[in-house]
Amino acid sequence: MRRLPVYFLLDTSGSMYGEPIQALNNALSGMVNTLRSDAQALDSLWISIITFDREVKEIVPLTELVSFQLPEITCPQSGPTNTGAGLDFVIQKVKKDVLKGSPTQKGDWKPLLFVFTDGKPSDIQLYREKTPEIKNLNFGAVVGCAAGHMANDEILKELTDNVVHLDSADSSTLKQFFKWVSETIEQGNKSQGTGEGVTLPPPPSEITVVI
Amino acid sequence: MKTITVKSINDSSKSYQYVDNGEPMRGGVKDVFFSPDKKYVVAIFRDKLDFNQKERLQRITNHYLPQIQNKEAGDYYLNEVFRWPTDVIEHNGFIGVIVPIYNSKFFFKKGYETSDLIQGKEKNGKWFAGAKFRNPQFPLKVAKSELGDWLSYFQVCVNLTRGVKKMHAMGLAHSDLSYNNVLIDPVEKSACIIDLDGLVVPGMFAAEVIGTAEFIAPEVLSSKHLNKTDSNRKLPNRLTDLHALPVLIYMFLLHRHPLKGGKVHDLDTEKDDLLSMGEKAMFIEHPTDKTNRPKLAQGSKWDLPWADIVKLPYSVTGPYLKTLFDKVFIDGLHNPMQRPTAEEWEIALLKTTDLMQKCHNISCEQKWYVFDNTNTPKCPFCGTAHKGTLPVLDLYYQFKPTVWKPENHRLMVYKDQYLFQWHVNRNITRNEKITAEQKVPMGYFTFHNNKWVLVNQKLTSLKDVTEDREIPIGSMVELTDGKKLLLSKEDGGRVVVITMANK
Repeated sequence: MRRLPVYFLLDTSGSMYGEPIQALNNALSGMVNTLRSDAQALDSLWISIITFDREVKEIVPLTELVSFQLPEITCPQSGPTNTGAGLDFVIQKVKKDVLKGSPTQKGDWKPLLFVFTDGKPSDIQLYREKTPEIKNLNFGAVVGCAAGHMANDEILKELTDNVVHLDSADSSTLKQFFKWVSETIEQGNKSQGTGEGVTLPPPPSEITVVI
Repeated sequence: MKTITVKSINDSSKSYQYVDNGEPMRGGVKDVFFSPDKKYVVAIFRDKLDFNQKERLQRITNHYLPQIQNKEAGDYYLNEVFRWPTDVIEHNGFIGVIVPIYNSKFFFKKGYETSDLIQGKEKNGKWFAGAKFRNPQFPLKVAKSELGDWLSYFQVCVNLTRGVKKMHAMGLAHSDLSYNNVLIDPVEKSACIIDLDGLVVPGMFAAEVIGTAEFIAPEVLSSKHLNKTDSNRKLPNRLTDLHALPVLIYMFLLHRHPLKGGKVHDLDTEKDDLLSMGEKAMFIEHPTDKTNRPKLAQGSKWDLPWADIVKLPYSVTGPYLKTLFDKVFIDGLHNPMQRPTAEEWEIALLKTTDLMQKCHNISCEQKWYVFDNTNTPKCPFCGTAHKGTLPVLDLYYQFKPTVWKPENHRLMVYKDQYLFQWHVNRNITRNEKITAEQKVPMGYFTFHNNKWVLVNQKLTSLKDVTEDREIPIGSMVELTDGKKLLLSKEDGGRVVVITMANK
């Protein structure tokens, strides 16, 4: 009934060219398989994948997990990192896709947003305009992932308190990270503690969380 | 990959081993490792436990485990119904429990019909509770060979119900019963309650979790904003188990949630969800208040036909279960003391299996249905009408000499249906304590030369009261409309009255 919409906003700028983009594709398909073998995820999860480099592309519009087909994600050999434009696109999509509650219709769960980048925004002004809009959209969680030494944790922290830093964008690190992402997504149906508030599960030990 | 040896904190002479491959299975709060021989697992808590938590685990393994072992049906409970922790270990300051490995029947042999993605994975109850995974059009449907038929889920529910009955009889509460904490196998009709390390002992160990969404009792949700020390705060206990158990039963039999309907209580999703499962919870099939009826158009197409409460109302589970569902989801929903006990559920489930008929449609997915008490019965799942006459046996007990009263227990006859001691004599209760000898049929029903007959195999004093004739072992008696049979002259022996339906 209620859907859990999950948006992945992925950096496909020039610096991702080569091994990193391969690793990202590999990790994403691992994550989709993990989710597709989870009964709870199959019950409610809808996924969208959006990439940003010079352009913003909606690789997969918001799609029910069972019908979700992961295409190969590619990136140009060089070019800017238009993170701000990417955020702007997500904002438009969330406003359009996510069902709000009405007196006669149950609303969707609060959407989740995962932003993955290996650099810093080239359109920093637009980025800073869009971060408060993201915050006002009432996401269930926004997780920023900064991969590699070029990624700027501080700028991502302007977007969200949940920033995970990956030392590199190699295959095994990304796999670990996306495993954690699927655990975060699956979190909803675990036993709830007697305390309050939903917390993110601890990230795997190999990566650093910046709080 | 390394093998690690850990010591019991209950008995320092005992040690266990596990293989650390760096990628344990991650549960909610524990990392789970296999022993080298794969006979048990070592489940280690990721957080350090406090004194009370340690004490609780030791109590579970040292006090409650032997209590089950040494009582009646101990093997049934420990091998079938529970995966009870057997010991507590410590390793580098972290505490873990030793749990016997799950029986192989609780792992998917095939999994999805069209992919091997979940082959070999645990048969968590969620796969069998939801409607999607059994919808033939769903791309990731669970293989038909894994699903069993409708009757399978009655036996599954009976096993779960007995588990809860046993815990309550020992003064324990499960506190987090959900489809995630049970493994079920509809093929062998088994169910097993797992994750038993969080048990609540009233007055001694309080609940640490409030439960799993969808199974948390309304009073727990509506008071969860209060501090734990507040006297109005309700935490899981025996009575909240008696909410979670029927939610599970309802879901396994009807593949939808009893409280998830169309009524909107708040425009904010989180608040709406909290209200609709908590303070404002309302049965979707409430007979008079229809405000929470599911809105099919807003639901997922994969959830049909089960989501359709008009096509498959809860009354398809028969009169005994309907009565209990009314009690728990209407009277007892906000009034915990009114909730039926686990034993009442066990009895109702078992009595309902006596009302089952085989569907004549060989391709019917459910294969069995509950007699709907009409003169023209048909299968509610595929619509196939019953062909031929249908004997209905109503059971009576002797209230005082010459006065017989109805038991509100009925046995439907079908070809090759058996008659058991628990039908013959009211002093024999059909439960986990039944001996192998008591499971031997006393007779069987069959359709022979165009007549329904009961063949007497072991009944020493069967008598056709209507025709005043003894029916010795090895002979048979015809079932005709209005006929009365005395099944046994012994104390507790019953009389059955035959009605012919679908004439």
